[in-house]
Amino acid sequence: MPLDFRRFNGPEDSVSYKIYTKDYLKTYDEQLKDLYDENGKRKDGRELNEARSMFARTDMVSQAKGSAYVELRKTKVVCSVFDPREIPHQNEFRQLGQLYCEVKFAPFSCPRKRRPYVPDVEEKALSVALRQALEPAVCRHFFPNYQIDVLIYILEHDGSCLAAAINAAGLALANAAVPMFDIITSCSVAVIGNKMFIDPTEIEEHIAKNSTEVNHGIITMSVLSQLKQISDFTQIGSMDVECVTKVMEVLLKECEIIVPNIQRILVVDVVKNFELKKHLEAETKKREEILKKKMDEWRSLLNGQ
Amino acid sequence: MAGLLLSSTEKVFIVHGVQEDFRSDGRSNIDYRPMELETDVVSHASGSARLRLANTDILVGIKTEIDTPKPDKPDMGKIEFFVDCSANATPEFEGRGGENLASSISNTMQRAYHSSQAFDLKQLCIVEGKQCWKLYVDILILECGGNLFDAVSLATKAALFNTRIPLVKALLMDGGNVDLQLSDDPYDFKFLDVGSAPLLVTLCKIGEKCVVDPSAEEESCSVISLIVGITGNSKSYCADKGASNLSDVDIKCSTISMNGPGSLAPKTLKNAIHQGIIAAKVLDDSLGQALLRERRENINSMKSSYGFLK
Repeated sequence: MPLDFRRFNGPEDSVSYKIYTKDYLKTYDEQLKDLYDENGKRKDGRELNEARSMFARTDMVSQAKGSAYVELRKTKVVCSVFDPREIPHQNEFRQLGQLYCEVKFAPFSCPRKRRPYVPDVEEKALSVALRQALEPAVCRHFFPNYQIDVLIYILEHDGSCLAAAINAAGLALANAAVPMFDIITSCSVAVIGNKMFIDPTEIEEHIAKNSTEVNHGIITMSVLSQLKQISDFTQIGSMDVECVTKVMEVLLKECEIIVPNIQRILVVDVVKNFELKKHLEAETKKREEILKKKMDEWRSLLNGQ
Repeated sequence: MAGLLLSSTEKVFIVHGVQEDFRSDGRSNIDYRPMELETDVVSHASGSARLRLANTDILVGIKTEIDTPKPDKPDMGKIEFFVDCSANATPEFEGRGGENLASSISNTMQRAYHSSQAFDLKQLCIVEGKQCWKLYVDILILECGGNLFDAVSLATKAALFNTRIPLVKALLMDGGNVDLQLSDDPYDFKFLDVGSAPLLVTLCKIGEKCVVDPSAEEESCSVISLIVGITGNSKSYCADKGASNLSDVDIKCSTISMNGPGSLAPKTLKNAIHQGIIAAKVLDDSLGQALLRERRENINSMKSSYGFLK
């Protein structure tokens, strides 16, 4: 792990205090039992096939051309999109515009360890996955030889970070008036044995990744809803083909469900901007009237003299 | 992957050919080009392999070191992948140009080997909670002729098959510290169990169909490819004739990812995964046969080594 020389780093051999707590020593079976009770309800009261309700808003960051904030219960993600700018360090002309995506975890965002300021391997992998998901959605032929910056900051990580990031990026791009082919939505599923956890929390993701069951792992998928195209599909773990196919069907449905919510937010955004524009125009007219009156006054005074 | 200029007519020709399951060089959609593989080419590494697949040349070296296991996984060793895209491979990799591709390949390999069903890290444990083996898998891309993910995964599996782990002869437990004594005998080692290690198959979508092992011309007709990591079958890597008592393990997907600026329809994705599994099964079988044959020749001192001369 490259050290960040510009800041004070903790002693290198410091570990999280959590490895000394009773929770840490739980066996895999005990941890699994914790995840869901006899009624099939998960730790936070959801059903196995229930996604978290998403709260999303645009226009969060005033300095950015477009921005969005997405909250999936405890997972909180902010996205900013900036104006197209020239691609730095580039020699050749490119027919299509580029997307520069960067995902960053806040140092206090993860429950298991502190995130360093220097982007680590996981963040770079998420940035690549985000770019992979957004590229088919954006009309890149409208800004040849330019790049659009999409910057994601994860304030709190409680599972489904990539899905939340893709949703936020889609909203932010629309808010920034970047021409797009379709609305992009994303969802993820954790598989442990024969159980499918839709929209997993961080604990569920951790157990799914390190499980030794026959089928285990996490799948994240992002879909362009109207065009019915899958723009990104990432799987980690070990699953047989039937499981992968089943999860894909489930995810397609889940991504459809999010679309009306996104549409409503975008419409509210547009209506708000129209109202703002009308309001500003009315204000401008009023001020112009006042100015004209003053000008007339002074003119008559000058002429009078 | 120097810039290739194809006219639109040539592209149409390639697309039509793929539609009929008949590619420009006569292969079917799931045929690989001929490959050359040699293991044990680097003497200082614990295991190594060199693979040539058409114009792609990959060299993998594996180093073993002793390390402390992670606190939440005390009985598991570690494996880490590093990919080096040097400027020798293609002029696009000059400076930091190859960095993105290198990190993308190493991330995919790390994800593919993450599951314990793909590669069991428990075989790398020495003393639970105190000492374990750490494998550094260094992948060098000597020449880049397309289809890197497949070639890298094949060479890595071959190198892991070839890896010799020294045997621990004595252990001194002094309070909390462990003192190891490893055997001096170079023939005193154990091999790793890599039968189930995953192979990556890249499926390139051209028109409506997907092809395996695309050539450079075919790659320029495609906007999206799917990379599927499929666990291997341990049976093919077992030298005993009595290996038939090993049950046929179900093929599993250990990683799936997409690569490219395009998108896929759900049906194409499903078909592509099935296609990848068929291709991976055949590939895994052939690789197993080749590696077992090489190991037999090695034991009988019949193996002629070519190294980099060929």
